[in-house]
Amino acid sequence: MNIRRLKDNISSRLMLAATVFACLLFFLMLIGLYSRASPILSAVPITDLLFSSVWEPSDGKFGFLPFIMGTLWVTGLATIIAVPISLLSSIYLSEYAGERLRNAVKPLIDLLAGIPSVVYGLWGVLAVVPFIKNYLAPVLGVETIGGYGILAGGIVLSIMVFPIIISVTGEVLRSVSQDLREVSLSLGSTKWQTIKHVVLRKARPGIFAAIVLGFSRAFGETMAVLMVVGNVPKVPSSVFDPAYPLPALIANTFGEMMSIPLYDSAILLAALMLLFVVLIFNIIARMVLIKIERSVI
Amino acid sequence: MSETQIEIDNVNAYYIGNHALKNISVRIPKKQITAIIGPSGCGKSTLLKCMNRLIDLTDGITYSGKILIDNEDVFDRKTDIVNIRKKMGLLAQKPIPLPMSIYDNIAYGPKIHGLSKKPDLDAIVEKYLKLVGLWEEVKDRLNSPASQLSIGQQQRLCLARGLAVEPEIILCDEPTSALDPVSSQHIEQQLLKLKKDYTIVIVTHNIHQAMRLADYVVHLYLGELVEHGPANEVFENPKEERTRAYINGTFFADFKVDSELNLKGNACPFNFVYAKQALHTMEEGKILKVIVDDPLAVTEVPRGMEADGHKILNVKQINKTDWQIVIQK
Repeated sequence: MNIRRLKDNISSRLMLAATVFACLLFFLMLIGLYSRASPILSAVPITDLLFSSVWEPSDGKFGFLPFIMGTLWVTGLATIIAVPISLLSSIYLSEYAGERLRNAVKPLIDLLAGIPSVVYGLWGVLAVVPFIKNYLAPVLGVETIGGYGILAGGIVLSIMVFPIIISVTGEVLRSVSQDLREVSLSLGSTKWQTIKHVVLRKARPGIFAAIVLGFSRAFGETMAVLMVVGNVPKVPSSVFDPAYPLPALIANTFGEMMSIPLYDSAILLAALMLLFVVLIFNIIARMVLIKIERSVI
Repeated sequence: MSETQIEIDNVNAYYIGNHALKNISVRIPKKQITAIIGPSGCGKSTLLKCMNRLIDLTDGITYSGKILIDNEDVFDRKTDIVNIRKKMGLLAQKPIPLPMSIYDNIAYGPKIHGLSKKPDLDAIVEKYLKLVGLWEEVKDRLNSPASQLSIGQQQRLCLARGLAVEPEIILCDEPTSALDPVSSQHIEQQLLKLKKDYTIVIVTHNIHQAMRLADYVVHLYLGELVEHGPANEVFENPKEERTRAYINGTFFADFKVDSELNLKGNACPFNFVYAKQALHTMEEGKILKVIVDDPLAVTEVPRGMEADGHKILNVKQINKTDWQIVIQK
């Protein structure tokens, strides 16, 4: 009897410990990043770090603006490409397509989410970059550095974001009650009017959350972007310019050039920024989605 | 009989292999209230949804036949279904306000049909809210979300919303089943008032409601059209035994029983066999009442009799220990 109770006690505590450990990891990471990033925060004013575009670590100049702008450009472009396509396709799948087509397409989209990002990167290098270099840039009469740049990064990234936006939007649209569609149709509205005025209106917060989730994925994506974006630390001025997003900076340079003072602290600050932004996006999106789920029940 | 508004001709519907509507042919009279009655799952709602083809939204449904409204066949693919639906307001089981303000709920229909001038819309909103007796209650908060209204108010709003597109027909699918008695009464009174201008079809499993409202009655049972006719005829003197049973089943046990069998004290296989023997000696269409006291028999005897092709008209507990099962051969 006592042994049974003992086992019961131990097992529940063990599980509690595992859970606490998993949750603690996040805070440990946060603390670790902050403590390693703090030297640069005390050496260089935060405004210089965020708004200076001079990145010359050997001179002690750490302006993150090129990287922040690079991240925003690539992410922004990816979102601009991904949002209309994935919204239209998820509206088609949930409102127009039959059950059979929906069931056939869903695993395909999930598959898209499961492809390793380095494969997307390779595809970008082998297909997107040459396409921009050989066809798009000459036709538009713009200069690129061999096709590498924000456009290539944005295209590759947008395809990586599709599955998230499509599947979350699909869930949200399906949570809109069928009765609502019936009401609108029975008033003599067409299918499109029903979708536009009723379904999308009801689903708006959820679609917003889906986009934010996609955005936060795009924000942190490293490998595929790094392979096609050109990696030049300069504030970009058009989509054909190369850029150097924060994740690429971290992946490319951490562990190298560590002899330069404050360099490693600067890289960890970049990681901290990234973590924060992605965290905030995720929290916003989750909060919206949780609210929707509750209102459905 | 008065003019026909909806002509239903040989309508069949199949839902994943299940024959949901079997050869339904009936004419729905103009500017009267027609009640479609029958137990749950008999195809009442399916028939209603066929009329405005909202049935299309159901996956795995196929249908055939003809439903003529103003000489246009609803089932014909060439028919402009949007236009047909505009002629038919729908009042659903529970109120479903659109996710917008009270004002926009009413204005939605007229707007999608091309009305955009604010004064016109204002007038429509006021007219129809007054028609359903909601104006005084909501006139000061037209821009607040419709979902803030009480359930009863919401259902009246839904009625007004349907009327605002100026239909000729109002389809009601158990419109009071989610409402409290007072709100239900309110809706019923509205419908009685509206029938001088509109053709109303109401699906209900509430016989009392059908009796209060209907001028014409359609009785469905398991997808079959059992009987239809003017309400007073059907309610007072049903031609079909099943209609009589359905009406009586909800009120009093007044069956024209031809033969009675007391099987109290018999365990399961025996009451079953005796009932079968008794039916065997009877003529087609005659009615046998069986009294049982074995709880197992209450479900098993009707199931067995139905499997043999007989009809179960009524199963009812008559006192603490006994049930009556009424079977038609």
